[in-house]
Amino acid sequence: MTYDAKIDRLPIFALFDLKGPQEALSKWAKDTPAFPKGPNKLTHKASATLCHIGPRRWLLRDDLENEATWSASLNPEEAPADISIVRVSDTQTFFRITGPDASEVMSIGCTLDLHPAVFADDAVSYTEFFGCKALVLRCEHGFDCAVEQSFGNMIKDFLNRATA
Amino acid sequence: MMNIPCPFCGPRNEAEFAFGGPVKPHRPDPNAVSEVEWTQYITTVPNPLGPVEERWWHVKGCGTWLTIWRDTRTHDIVEGPGDAG
Amino acid sequence: MQVDRLGGGGLIDRTKTLNFTFNGRPYRGFEGDTLASALLANGVRLTARSFKYHRPRGIVGSGVEEPSTLVELMGEDASGNRPVTTVPLREGLVAKSVNCWPSPEFDIGAVNQLFARFIPAGFYYKTFKWPNWHLYEPSIRKAAGLAGAPVEAPKSGHFENRYAHCDLLIAGAGPAGLMAALAAGRAGQRVMLIDEGMQAGGSLLNRNLTIEGKPAMDWVATTVCELDAMPNVTQLQNATVWGYREHNFVMVNERAPEHPSILERNWRVRAARVLCSTGAIERTLVFGNNDRPGVMLASAIQAYVNRYAVRPGKRAVIFTNNNSAYGVAADMAAAGIDIAAIIDSRETVPDAARAAVPKQEILSGHVVYSTHGGRLVKAVSVMPSNGGATRRIACDLLAVSGGWNPAVHLWSQSRGTLAYDEALSTFRPDTPVQNAISAGAANGDLTLADALRSGAEAGAGGGKTPEIPASDDLPYAVEPIWRVEQARGKAFLDMQNDVSVDDVHLALREGYDNVEHVKRYTTGGMGIDQGKVGNINIIGTVAIQKGLPLDEVGTTTFRAPYTPVSFGAIGGIREGSVSLPYRHTPITAWNLANGAFMYESGARWRRPGYFPRTGEGFQDAVNRECRAVRNDVGVYDGSPLGTFELKGRDVDKFLDHLYTNIMSTLKPGRARYGLMLSDDGLVADDGVALRLSKDRWIISTSTGHADAMNAHMEEILQTEFPDYNVFITTVTSQWNNVTICGPKAREVMEALGTAIDISPETLPFMAFADGHVAGIPARIVRVSFTGELSFEVNVAPRDLLALWEMTLEVGAPFGIAPIGSEANHVLRVEKGFLSLGHEVDGPIDPYDLGLGWAMSKKKADYFGKRSVALRRDGTTNRRELVGVIPEPDRMIPEGAPLTPGGERKATEGFVTACVYSTVHDRWVGLALLENGHSRHGETVHVRLNEGVIPARVTPPIHYDPEGERLRS
Repeated sequence: MTYDAKIDRLPIFALFDLKGPQEALSKWAKDTPAFPKGPNKLTHKASATLCHIGPRRWLLRDDLENEATWSASLNPEEAPADISIVRVSDTQTFFRITGPDASEVMSIGCTLDLHPAVFADDAVSYTEFFGCKALVLRCEHGFDCAVEQSFGNMIKDFLNRATA
Repeated sequence: MMNIPCPFCGPRNEAEFAFGGPVKPHRPDPNAVSEVEWTQYITTVPNPLGPVEERWWHVKGCGTWLTIWRDTRTHDIVEGPGDAG
Repeated sequence: MQVDRLGGGGLIDRTKTLNFTFNGRPYRGFEGDTLASALLANGVRLTARSFKYHRPRGIVGSGVEEPSTLVELMGEDASGNRPVTTVPLREGLVAKSVNCWPSPEFDIGAVNQLFARFIPAGFYYKTFKWPNWHLYEPSIRKAAGLAGAPVEAPKSGHFENRYAHCDLLIAGAGPAGLMAALAAGRAGQRVMLIDEGMQAGGSLLNRNLTIEGKPAMDWVATTVCELDAMPNVTQLQNATVWGYREHNFVMVNERAPEHPSILERNWRVRAARVLCSTGAIERTLVFGNNDRPGVMLASAIQAYVNRYAVRPGKRAVIFTNNNSAYGVAADMAAAGIDIAAIIDSRETVPDAARAAVPKQEILSGHVVYSTHGGRLVKAVSVMPSNGGATRRIACDLLAVSGGWNPAVHLWSQSRGTLAYDEALSTFRPDTPVQNAISAGAANGDLTLADALRSGAEAGAGGGKTPEIPASDDLPYAVEPIWRVEQARGKAFLDMQNDVSVDDVHLALREGYDNVEHVKRYTTGGMGIDQGKVGNINIIGTVAIQKGLPLDEVGTTTFRAPYTPVSFGAIGGIREGSVSLPYRHTPITAWNLANGAFMYESGARWRRPGYFPRTGEGFQDAVNRECRAVRNDVGVYDGSPLGTFELKGRDVDKFLDHLYTNIMSTLKPGRARYGLMLSDDGLVADDGVALRLSKDRWIISTSTGHADAMNAHMEEILQTEFPDYNVFITTVTSQWNNVTICGPKAREVMEALGTAIDISPETLPFMAFADGHVAGIPARIVRVSFTGELSFEVNVAPRDLLALWEMTLEVGAPFGIAPIGSEANHVLRVEKGFLSLGHEVDGPIDPYDLGLGWAMSKKKADYFGKRSVALRRDGTTNRRELVGVIPEPDRMIPEGAPLTPGGERKATEGFVTACVYSTVHDRWVGLALLENGHSRHGETVHVRLNEGVIPARVTPPIHYDPEGERLRS
């Protein structure tokens, strides 16, 4: 191993894509973590994380076992016309990169500045990872990095090469 | 590799963006303009030597379609005529 | 025997002896040597032959400026054209000279010297122009003899790219760079200090100077130690800042990262501020036979003597026009080199310079006009600058110093301007364009005290400047000479490309009088060294000849890379299986395990082309899969299709604008085929829209156009219709599907088990329903891409493999077969279904494709409507979609042209696809043919190299024209 880092391909999370005016969304979506204060910030509540990933756009992440609960409470089918809620759990494959050299491994694929002073614990962002669009956020001792599911094998391939 | 300012994310590497071409005039009502005007709209793309207003899509970021003025000679991102104080 | 190694001193480790081989002979050196210093220590002076004339050459420099000796490294770290001075010595190194065969001592190409007067600048351009250069190029390149590329990938590791960000990137860890790093590092800035050498210190490594009364290298060691302790400072040695791009994006090549499995690393750094403290490079002097082995840069000799403890000669002459050579003379004398004379072209030598070598004979107002000797200089000829008696002085080493050029390469790459400095007789940085600064010798601050000060100020950037340590250095003064007028013999300006003063004169005579033209015509400055020691002399020579000041002649453009960078470092880990991106679906492993032949089929998806059974060839497998679908049942994985969920009050309005046909009238639970045009009237995509409820829709796009359609829709919504209430979410990877198709598809669906009523009455063609299939949450969609009864069972990817395996299991009694993209292609051609990129190309519009029905007449406007109308207005002879039946029965290659009568005439169309139809048991095709709709029944002709193939024109639907099967 070139780097002292552990790479895990995680099982899927429950993911919900939320779009619309924050006011309308927060009125409809009960029990979510508080809406983050700024762009590319996240908040937690229990096992759930709410990420502000774009203008009028959020991503709710939770353990898969809570997917049905969220489906019922967010109720995408019945949501008002001016907001959009879509279950997207399967669309993202998460890699967890942890260990003393985690940020070095990240820097091989990721163009974003992940220095703690710039990308703090409450930071989250879509960016580029080995050429793919990827969601990056911090986890304990490292980073979670999600790519479109169909690129998962390729990203694993890249990570294997990078740490060979 | 340019550093493109995204209104949502701040400056980001050009690799996160897709080029959307120079900004054309607003799409006219095709039924209210002449053939010549429509053809002009469809086929004339600004291509100056110097600052040009263009669209970039932050496709690997927050998804915003944004507009910048870029100097085609230098890649400098500059103030557009409308940006000045 | 290291015959020329000094008894003591130097920054080498004499306890570590290293064995190496050069041009087939074994030698020994020490840890800390470069290949160049080790060769000189072993008394090897003739190390190369020149590029064009194959003249004997030696080592001239001590670093990246080396113009003369290039080597090829063999074995594990094989690489070509490395300046000998930049190759760190290591145990077992095997190297050979380029440009000569079999060796520099006996070089067959040396015969070129006899013809030298017949191969001046431009010789190749003038001589090898008929019939064209490319005919001659390979053999000339071979004769020119630069090293070939390595043929095998390195075995010991891989290359890496990484991104980095910093507040201040410092290029060069010499005195200025180190001071800057201290200033910025202490202020808490994120600093990257990059240095091309094996250790920090820059010029201090080579010179005997003191800082605070102690050896300067002590100060370097203390400083490096302090910087090491700062977590906000990254120091890289043996790493070169080789490119300075727009927006302060800087490329760094780290040649020996500490990880053993990483061969080289390329850093891409976004720096808020860049400091160019890249030092200065000594320039050579231009006189007759100034290229003979034994003629070296004075600063290089200083480096060999002080840093490597090597004596590159026993009796030396020094030829200079400036003060710095006097410090070198003192160091040489201290190392026991006998200095025969110092030849200074200046009439008056400053006292400060004389004081460095108080007892030395100095011939002021003199020049060296030629050298003598064969493979090593034996004597030099000297005369007063303004004429007079000549004198011949015996020596085996000639040190030349033509003054110093700030290394402005990086600065210039940043687009910073240069100004000619009369006092320094060189170009130095003037106005920055990006956020760049310049300090130290790179800025023209050529004494140590000035370098320390300007470095500290640059690093502080207006903040607190650290205390500047006291230092001693000779004041710098120079009087330029760009060439020695009295030169006898070839006087080289660019040694690597064998460009002499005569060549520049010839270029000017022939009208190439811009300095950029001179460069291209003579190739001066185009070598691997990019003319680091000689370019300014070319500019000076042009200036003299044209009677212009140097700043009006100007410089050529400095471009990246500053020094050579291996392709591996640029490519990084992107090789082998990840050279190109690839995508997979959840059943990829199953496909591979079941013998699928996989390949890319658009948008980077790796999909099964066909599933050959043991002993089955391509065509047999495809035919079997087609028969399964037409006669029984087939199943395929349709997951890659682009899928988007649209939500909002204005989706109706939006889709009506996007599609050519009306979507807003669609009822929930129903699907509709639609066509999308670009606004200039070209077919952008086609697909199916599903209405889930009043304001929720799912639309699909073709696999290859999913990203483009996403961009298109988002752009329209964000720029054209920002007031529309529409949200788009990509769900391509949320909805995978198993598509079951064929006359027995319904039986397989029933066998899988579903509570959804799938009868044709309740779930007809173009309807869909949500529920469960085989216990899995699913949406069944009645669309068909094969022309057969078809159920697209959409499930979450997590369930795809289970559904797939169950389908094959329960389908087995019905003869189910998995089918690949090849069979899909055959089936769609039989049905005349469109494929973007086959039938749909640039000039084709929906009417040509027989899709006029999809062009709504009711809607006043939609994308492409006006443009299609304009295009059709007045055009005749449109190419229209038809079927073709080759007669006799044979395959026609895709894209084959149709010409009138098969004659050599302008084409009237082409064949878009041709497949073996199992239902007709013959080849059938589709074509775009001029006025094709009115030519059914005619015979047209495919014109191929091998002959003309007649083909009968038919309607484009070869099978089930009424569509009864897909509606069943």
